[in-house]
Amino acid sequence: MLSDLSERIVSEMNTETVFTIPVFGGIGVDEGTVVTWIVMAVMILASFLLTRNLRVDHISKRQAAVELFVTKLEGVVLGVIGPDGQQYAPYLVTVLVYIGFANIMGVFGFKPPTKDLNVTIALAVMSIVLVQAASIRKRRVGGWLKSFAKPLAIVTPFNILDLFTRPLSLCMRLFGNVLGAFVVMILLESFVPVGIPAVFSLYFDFFDGFLQAYVFVFLTSVYIKEAIELSE
Amino acid sequence: MSLTAIAAGIAVFTGIGAGIGIGIATAKAVEACSRQPDASGKIMTLLILGGALAEATAIYGFVTALILILTQ
Repeated sequence: MLSDLSERIVSEMNTETVFTIPVFGGIGVDEGTVVTWIVMAVMILASFLLTRNLRVDHISKRQAAVELFVTKLEGVVLGVIGPDGQQYAPYLVTVLVYIGFANIMGVFGFKPPTKDLNVTIALAVMSIVLVQAASIRKRRVGGWLKSFAKPLAIVTPFNILDLFTRPLSLCMRLFGNVLGAFVVMILLESFVPVGIPAVFSLYFDFFDGFLQAYVFVFLTSVYIKEAIELSE
Repeated sequence: MSLTAIAAGIAVFTGIGAGIGIGIATAKAVEACSRQPDASGKIMTLLILGGALAEATAIYGFVTALILILTQ
């Protein structure tokens, strides 16, 4: 029974190659990519359907709900990043919605794409590139290089180390949390198949999934705010 | 197998530190909220930031344990 269980966990944790594109000797397409496509399709379809017939006055209930949703999410990001970072809000909100959606894919019977380390590494690298680009944009290249020696020249090595530890901890946090929740849910389901898993799914899939999406975007916003703050 | 299992078990002990840390942080946040209810929004933000950073150690331990189990 126990060896069955460990085999099942290992097989669930592996990311399978769904199909192979027959060019350049075969490019494998992972499960995470396919589920990401599903998430993308749903998100694009939803935003397409929800933003039709937008009006300035006499707005429909649908438009009011969408506007409330978008304003709330933007408020979450802008509350951290400040009005200076307005231009980064659309990207951050998109990442927030994507990770939030990806984390609850387990409820619909898919493996969450964020359980795949490749996906979280890509997200973390995108975040850190955006942070550095924001810093260069605000301070120019000279100011960006100088910012590594602030507040004291002696902290320069640590600031450079931060370039690598920040994305590492971002991607590991998201990956570890989602994978941990996933493994716990499998264990629960194999011992108590009915009833109890649904209650715990509320915590592990919804609460933890949305919290981790928020934490990821929140930390990225904090880094961007730090990067675009001009301290003389 | 047995030694790897023990090693993985020890690695997961990092959870103790994160648990204590987040517990202390939450306790202080509750205290701060009851003293300054107006600042609760800001306190909440700081609490989540601190919680996320403290939790990272537990996650590292968990990932280490997984790598130990899966690669042996």
